[in-house]
Amino acid sequence: MTAMSDVTVLLLTFFMLTSTFLQKEPTIVYTPSSVSEEKVPMNNLVTVLISCADKGGNMEDPTVTEGKIFISFTGDADSTLSSVNIRGMMLDEAVAIYNAQHQNNPITITAAQKNEFMNTNMFGVPFSVLPEFLSMSVTDRDKFQGNLANPAVGIPINGNRDRDGRLNDFQIWLKAIYNVAQRINSDQAAGLTDAERSQLSNLYTALMRKGEGIAVKADKDTPFTTVQEVFDNLQTMKLNKFSLMTALKSEDEPTN
Amino acid sequence: MAQIEQSDGGKKKKGAQKKIAIHVDFTPMVDMNMLLITFFMLCTTMIKSQTLQIILPTNEQVSDQNKSQAKQSEAITMILDTEYNGDRPAVDENGKTIHNIYYYEGIADTTFQITPNQLKAEHFVGNVNHEAQGIRRILYSKNEQVMQRYQELKTRWKNREITKEQFDSAARKNAGDSTLTRPVVVIKPGPNTTYEGLINAIDEMNINQISRYSIELPTHADTLLLRNYEQTHGVTIIRPDVRTRTNRATTEASTPNS
Repeated sequence: MTAMSDVTVLLLTFFMLTSTFLQKEPTIVYTPSSVSEEKVPMNNLVTVLISCADKGGNMEDPTVTEGKIFISFTGDADSTLSSVNIRGMMLDEAVAIYNAQHQNNPITITAAQKNEFMNTNMFGVPFSVLPEFLSMSVTDRDKFQGNLANPAVGIPINGNRDRDGRLNDFQIWLKAIYNVAQRINSDQAAGLTDAERSQLSNLYTALMRKGEGIAVKADKDTPFTTVQEVFDNLQTMKLNKFSLMTALKSEDEPTN
Repeated sequence: MAQIEQSDGGKKKKGAQKKIAIHVDFTPMVDMNMLLITFFMLCTTMIKSQTLQIILPTNEQVSDQNKSQAKQSEAITMILDTEYNGDRPAVDENGKTIHNIYYYEGIADTTFQITPNQLKAEHFVGNVNHEAQGIRRILYSKNEQVMQRYQELKTRWKNREITKEQFDSAARKNAGDSTLTRPVVVIKPGPNTTYEGLINAIDEMNINQISRYSIELPTHADTLLLRNYEQTHGVTIIRPDVRTRTNRATTEASTPNS
């Protein structure tokens, strides 16, 4: 009996320490598999989720739920640049860019709404809906985002820069990410020697050097043209290095 | 179990306490532990997602003379296609999506001249009995010099002659070795390709250590080749009605005569 209880406690400790709970995502996608063994980084990651066509089969046109964009930010392990703080910085930056572009109908985010945003993992609404969205309760937000058929869900991506040279909502977020990451990098690099600077590991180095900063997550059955739109926007924003989330398979496994 | 006995070594010491046997019932604790273990086992995700690194070129207009032109002998173009069954990708008896690859060697002919049987069809098969099959075999034979050295490196790593880091850096150097004959692969996802088709294609590049590949949209010349293939083989590849969603990529890839 003693041995057994010892083992159970050990097992319990093991599972408690190794478990990482799945972050709630507005939609479930099944990623395709590849032989790449690189792990998804734990820190300093921007995940771009692309929703897939409805698989329930009760919709007249299943493709209405396809291609909705959601973003989530994960910060540094360091507490000053934790996920919560970095989300706040991203929001401030993005809203500033948006309001500079849309001077006729700017949006204002209250302190309470900003606080809500900082504690939201994944979101996908246009800027025009953002203040209203952040005033909802957590359950209402989940319900709102879960209804992918709603045209107000998903970060607008179409129109790769409009005629006035304005960025679309997705590009504004990407620009905000880049600006914030660059600011953090220059703050951290200040007063360091060149050797120390090259050792820096933050969102900026992940984005620019290693291409690990942005991970695109899409369903395996999503048409390439939908994914291509996201690629195109990333290329426009000069974020040419990024990673694609896949599941693992072995080389000997039959490919489909 | 759960008894604490104080041993006095057999001798009676002066002022030694009376022996007390303490009994604690551990059963509820073990029960609870078991429940917790079950909970964590069911809720954890042990397998973390993997990532595939990708570097795309800039999408700004590049003037023709600045474009890197691959040599005719080195180039191989793969046009990807996924079969559809109504609105959903078609699956085979194992539940796997059916992807087709139409490939040709050399760069697309800008003069729109079609040599018979230029376009060949292949599938993603993977390995059968550790032997590369399907498109993987074609790509392997194209990159044989690199792959032979890569296999040697792999054997040395497996025999613990070199470390994983040494192997990785040597493999990267080997894949980029310009003294060897290496192919340039152009991956062209057609309008009906699913994301999985693209990932499979990039995956084949990694498996075959192909360092030079690009992802482009099919051109009119490619469409012409596909149309020719359709006529000679009596199949339908270009199905503009599968997906009626219109966006930039599909319009660029659409056929000139449809």
